[in-house]
Order: sequence, then structure tokens, then C-alpha cells
Amino acid sequence: MLFLMFRIGKDRYVLDAEQIEQVLPFMAAKALPGAPEGVVGAINYHGAPVPLIDLSSLALGRPSAAVMSTRIILIRYPSAEGTQRRLALCAERIIETVAREASDFVPTGVEAGTPAYLGPVASDADGLIQWIRAEALLTPEIRAILFQDGGAEI
Amino acid sequence: MSGSSETAATKTSGSAGSLLDRPLPSGYREEWAQHFATAARAADAASDPGSREETVVIFRIGDEWLALSTVLFHEIAEPRRIHSLPHRRDELLLGIVNVRGELLVCVSLAALLGIGDSLSSERGERMKTFERIVVIGKEGRRLAFPADEVHGIHRYSTRDLTATPATIGKAALPFATAIIPWQGHSVGRLDDQLVLDTLDRSIA
Repeated sequence: MLFLMFRIGKDRYVLDAEQIEQVLPFMAAKALPGAPEGVVGAINYHGAPVPLIDLSSLALGRPSAAVMSTRIILIRYPSAEGTQRRLALCAERIIETVAREASDFVPTGVEAGTPAYLGPVASDADGLIQWIRAEALLTPEIRAILFQDGGAEI
Repeated sequence: MSGSSETAATKTSGSAGSLLDRPLPSGYREEWAQHFATAARAADAASDPGSREETVVIFRIGDEWLALSTVLFHEIAEPRRIHSLPHRRDELLLGIVNVRGELLVCVSLAALLGIGDSLSSERGERMKTFERIVVIGKEGRRLAFPADEVHGIHRYSTRDLTATPATIGKAALPFATAIIPWQGHSVGRLDDQLVLDTLDRSIA
């Protein structure tokens, strides 16, 4: 399997490349005042608004650094009705992909205390890589807020 | 992992890292936001059945820049010896080439399209350095042709195409369906099916 690697803080995380539609440059987003924690705004992607989630801010409470390696990952997000929506995630140091077997990933053992989106981990020479489950990134409440009005479907 | 390769890896990530850790230039985020917003027109056009995005591989034969669908391309290889076939002395069929142990029929697109190698000889040896053997094919049938230069993949929207001008070489005319403007060149978009079929027929 191919994974896209990025960083939240110092640690490395991966997303399944299958879910990813495109990696975009760190473009300006329209702010959404009053949006829940982690939702920094909406980007205009070919005329369609796509909600932008900052993974650094979601996980650590501080925004991603404004440097060249910070990019936006456009993913297909399964919505409740079974259709697919686009969701934009920004994270730091999106500079490489890794090919790993799904079986390389093992549970961390502390699942109970961590957010639902943190998946199993795989080890390599530099430490551990954690699999992010994109479909669990949004809590049901946020999902309801973001996708309630039947916005642009893919 | 040996110690030396580890240091090398760290070094690369260090120098590449410093490049990627540059702060964003002023206006960078706004510019990209604008780019993807204005690309909306392209997306609108894409939803319109008359226009869609296509990718082609652009290559040069003689003085002509040409393009064929990306899906046809199997391999771009270094130039190698073309072995001529006994009793086949036509212009179109150059012979066979060995690409990774597979013997492929090698044809001349220049002969098919009626392109002479006029300027390339005048400009001297430099032009020869970009020569490649291109392997194309569809549904299991593969063949190779030499190209004087291969640029790579280019994506365009079908609404950017212009009609082939009347001045294009007469022989190439039936094969070129449209012109793709690219880096100041006019690239002849060849009809994939027609080119393959004609080549198939002529080497049978």
C-alpha cells in the first residue's frame, strides 16, 4: 500500500494514498468565524467550497507553520449518506510517500485514551509512523455542521 | 543500514529540509487561492461535454513537435541499434530493436507523417543527444519508433485546441487532429487510433 507521510508536531503520520485526490499548495482559505476547533476555513477548489481542517491545530492546538513544505491534502471523505465529499487537510512536511504493507501496522495499545482518528503504528529506522484514519477525523457533530446542507458532492 | 548511507540520508533530508522549511513568499497563499478559484472556469468547461482534460506525451520528430495520448506510451528508452530486416527495405519499417530483451518492430514516424530531417542536421550534433526510442502500444501490440526528443507529459484542456492550419505538411494532415499550443510551439495532436492502425497495416 502507498501512504502519504506528513508531520503533526515532531511525529510522522500517514494517510492511505487511495483516499487522496490531490496534494495542493498551502493556499489561503476563507476563514469561517465560529467554526469548531481545527476547522480553519474553506478553500475555493475549482469553484466549489471545500472545508479545510488543520491537522496540527486539531491535534496540538497550534496552526501548521507557514512554510513551503506545509501543503493541503485533498481527500475524498465518505459522508453519512454514503456519498463522497471532498475534505481538505493541511499538515506540515508533506514531502514524501512511503510504501508499506497494511500488516506492518500494529495497535499502539493505548487506543482507548486517544482520538478515534489515530490508527495503528508501523516502525522504521527513525521511529514510529502512525496511520491516520481520515474517515474518523471529524467528530459526528463537526461532520453534521460541515456537510449538513448537502454541499457539492463529487 | 550501514553508517555511511545513514549519514547520506540525513544529509539529503537536511539540505532538502532547509529548502522546504523556507517561509512562504509574500502573496504565495493568495496567489494559489486565486489560481484554484479561477481554475473554476476550466472545471466548468470540464463539466460541459464539449471540453475535457487530456494528457499527451509530447515528442519531436525532425522539426515537428507531435503528441499522442499518454496511455499509448509504454516506455521511453535510450537510443540503441536498430537491426534492419532482410528483404524489407521500405522507409517506414526500420527494423527491430531490443528493448529489455523484447524484440520490437521499429517504425519511422517521420516516414509515416512525411517529415524530413531538414533543420536537425544543420544544427549539428547537439540535437542528437536527446534521441530516444519510444515504445507505444495498445491491447498487447507494441512497437517502437525513434524520436529526436521527448519532452514528457503535458496536460491540456480540449478547449485550448486549435484547428490544424492548412500549411501543415500534406502527409501529416490526415493524422493530426488538432494543434496544442505549448511553450510557444504548435504541437500536432495525432489521432492515436489512426496512427496505430496505419502502422499495423503497413508492417503486416
